[in-house]
Amino acid sequence: MRLPTLPWSTGSFLSLLLLPLALVSAEEHSSYDENLLLRTLPGNSVLASFRFVSNGTFNSHHSVFPRSLAQILQHSQTKELHLKFTLGRWDAERWGSQIWDGRTAGGTGVELWAWVEAGSDAEADARWTTLNNALSGLFCASLNFIDSTRTIRPVMSFQPDGHHAEDIKERLHLLHGTLPREPVCTENLTPFLKLLPCKGKAGISSLLDGHKLFDAKWQSMSIDVTPVCEEIDGVEKCQLQMVQTVDMVLDVERSLRKKDSVIPRPPHLDQMICDPNKFYSGSDSCFPLDDISDLSWSLSEMFGRPIRGSCPLASLPTSQSINVCANVPDQRAIYVSAGGTEVGRGDNIRCFILEENTDFDIILPDQSPAILLPNIEPPLYASRSFTGHGQERGGVQAVLRNPSPDRHVEFVYLESLPWFMKPYLHTFSATLDPPIETQWEEKIIQEIYYRPALDRRRGTQLEARMRIPPNSTVLVTYDFDKAVLRYTEYPPDANRGFDIAPAIISILAPRNSQTIFSIRTTSLLLSLPTPDFSMPYNVIILTSTVMALAFGTVFNLLVRRFVGADESVRMNPVQVLKVKIMAAVKRIKAKRERSGKAELAKKNE
Amino acid sequence: MKPSRLLLPLTLLPCAALAQHTSNWAVLVSTSRFWFNYRHLANVLSMYRTVKRLGIPDSQIILMLSDDIACNPRNAFPGTVYNNADRALDLYGDNIEVDYRGYEVTVENFIRLLTDRVAPDTPRSKRLLTDDRSNIFIYMTGHGGNEFLKFQDAEEISAFDIADAFEQMWEKKRYHEMLFMVDTCQANTMYSKFYSPNILATGSSKLDESSYSHHADNDVGVAVIDRYTYYNLEFLENEVKTASSSRSTMKDLFDSYDTEKIHSTPGVRTDLFRRDLSETLITDFFGNVQNVELEGEAGGSWNEDLLELSRLAVNFTVPRRNGTCGGGAVREERPQKVVRREGAVRIVEEEGWNRNAVGVGALLACAAAWVAGSALSAL
Repeated sequence: MRLPTLPWSTGSFLSLLLLPLALVSAEEHSSYDENLLLRTLPGNSVLASFRFVSNGTFNSHHSVFPRSLAQILQHSQTKELHLKFTLGRWDAERWGSQIWDGRTAGGTGVELWAWVEAGSDAEADARWTTLNNALSGLFCASLNFIDSTRTIRPVMSFQPDGHHAEDIKERLHLLHGTLPREPVCTENLTPFLKLLPCKGKAGISSLLDGHKLFDAKWQSMSIDVTPVCEEIDGVEKCQLQMVQTVDMVLDVERSLRKKDSVIPRPPHLDQMICDPNKFYSGSDSCFPLDDISDLSWSLSEMFGRPIRGSCPLASLPTSQSINVCANVPDQRAIYVSAGGTEVGRGDNIRCFILEENTDFDIILPDQSPAILLPNIEPPLYASRSFTGHGQERGGVQAVLRNPSPDRHVEFVYLESLPWFMKPYLHTFSATLDPPIETQWEEKIIQEIYYRPALDRRRGTQLEARMRIPPNSTVLVTYDFDKAVLRYTEYPPDANRGFDIAPAIISILAPRNSQTIFSIRTTSLLLSLPTPDFSMPYNVIILTSTVMALAFGTVFNLLVRRFVGADESVRMNPVQVLKVKIMAAVKRIKAKRERSGKAELAKKNE
Repeated sequence: MKPSRLLLPLTLLPCAALAQHTSNWAVLVSTSRFWFNYRHLANVLSMYRTVKRLGIPDSQIILMLSDDIACNPRNAFPGTVYNNADRALDLYGDNIEVDYRGYEVTVENFIRLLTDRVAPDTPRSKRLLTDDRSNIFIYMTGHGGNEFLKFQDAEEISAFDIADAFEQMWEKKRYHEMLFMVDTCQANTMYSKFYSPNILATGSSKLDESSYSHHADNDVGVAVIDRYTYYNLEFLENEVKTASSSRSTMKDLFDSYDTEKIHSTPGVRTDLFRRDLSETLITDFFGNVQNVELEGEAGGSWNEDLLELSRLAVNFTVPRRNGTCGGGAVREERPQKVVRREGAVRIVEEEGWNRNAVGVGALLACAAAWVAGSALSAL
């Protein structure tokens, strides 16, 4: 397997951390390893990166590799699977380069891509649907919503990580789907932990608690299943390797505040650090300054509990198997409780091995002024936003900046847009900002793969390979039209807007066009022309009234005969006489009755 | 006379067997979207906690949560849902399995779930795999009115829809007995149209009556539970401690309803239910029992079963196991040519004058045809 390259100065010790991954495949048919990396980030934030690696096969009894997942993969003929649940935004400007080169994190919401073995596109689609539905049951997420409108087949952005035989490689179909609106919550963490051999009861996974994980500034859970093959004595042995990671950036201040009061309340005036240079600074007014000291924290304070010993099912602790590493400036003190042994100390990094059945805690005392780790710059900064106005036309603008002073950066920019967002390909352009007047005009867009949308059947796929010169910023823009949906196609909260999946930027290695770093932009919220949903009822009522009026008039016209008073039927004299006699008789009768009643009344008196 | 008297107990036997159920299922549905409907999710999660506490496993609970409340950005307590302002009990906990969530909670999906008319790929966790020996507890909460209940603030289920779905379940032998509980405004109208046997129904309020929330939590910022559910839970927490020891009956539960406290008139419909409420245990619906039922006569039948099993065993074919990477494993012979039609195409920007030349050519051809045509017609 290809290990992520680490552009850190602390590479030697971190590669030690990664060594078990390479070694396990040579072991027996199943093995398991876990490790945790803690890193202090600027602004009193802490990055915690959990990594669990299980190896196994379909055939063996499932000791560490979860059977539930293996059966799904086997049933849907999936050879390689990547599933990501992400919340929040990685603040690259502050926190620097993303951990694991951005390979473990996905875009906001849920992202899934897999290599499915199939003989035809239709077969691949059917298996993909099977896979999505099965995973939706396993991970309590609405993955079954990944249908043909949200599925794309990227050409350049992804390459399989695992070892696939050549004859199978030809039959593999890459399918990719995203659900940017999908919430990530405890019900997704529960099945994630159940896949682990120690199920969150022991080992580093005992720190994983939904209440802390979903309180993080940014968090990502990922599952990557890849086949790993090795040749031992001329026989190729293959295994399935599942790497589960949980990465999160915790806010130390917020985590510690939770102990006293959950609701943020302004601190008392004498607890604030005020800027005395402001003219209004006085006894009752204050311009608060950022707290510049590093707060004191410990694992048990941040996660609510210490690590409950090592996971007994993990591979035997050797010098290569390191459980916990703290990537903290050397000048800052670290205290550890019993239950852990320090095994190595490197450049800004200290590593520990856990003992079984003993709680382990790391305590960092406060530090003023704060000491920061050297910032690791990502190969590219990316942000994306909407331009344009109105209910009909819109535009997208992505700002991509290459911070390197001397290197070009080559990458693939991938957009997966829903069908109701209709881009115009001819408006797709990339320009240097500001335009540099040079004698050699550089071509930024090298290659474009495009698949237009079909209404209600599939979305747009736009993949562009670009090359940005050193120390420059590129504006990628395109225009689009907003479609009008049918009444029943709007979601219940249509006025909130429609989430557009993050753009995926895969940075390619200079030579072999393999992805070496991944960046996701944030998702976008597209507001479509939304009707007033009570209108149909108003229309129905008004229409009914109009119809009733029209019907009544027409009905009367049809069944009644209208005649003028002078046109009424003439009667002959005999009939006239008869009517008059009848009227006279009636009158006499009425008179008699009245007089009779009067007599009766008199009698009663 | 004599033989008939002897036969009487025998004819009663099957009836006695009918009174038993062998599994318990629960369908818990919250139908409202948006943060201010926090209490409806809290209602459902309280019931989820109760049935789980009394032993029904997650695999037999279908939990439908219509919105994300626990991890909602407005929630000051991430990953947490409380049903009381004292915040003693976190209903979301560490171990929760939501089967239908968000936009998946629709009238269509609910009726499909009940009647088991689901897509072929639907996972087991999203299906109600009951039989004619299953007792089902169905709890619904949301905003409703006279004979309807709103789903997601966008569509409605009517009392007739539910009644027909239940009848279909009865026809398909998908339940043994059912307890239908609904907490919404004018809830009692929701069960007024039922016509299938063995359904016990209860609701929070009668026609033209609203259901009210119990109290609000100022830090959460909204009401946290409805009154009817609150007092149901109070009874269940206090009187039904464990599934095995509790002898409380449905009558006890219904008798505990206090109109003064609930602020509405709870209703109970018993005419479809064949058993006496004072003999119906609460745990028949809320707990998990595993009564075992032996079929047929004592003699001979197991032999038939054995025969049938061996017949199955003979015809059973071992599924072919594919290799993990296909390296050394036996592979089926399949056409190697993979047809790929789907997928993006490479956009090539044409350079030079080729396309322009073609366009001009086409225009000229048209003009020539027109000139030729007019010349011919002039002849």
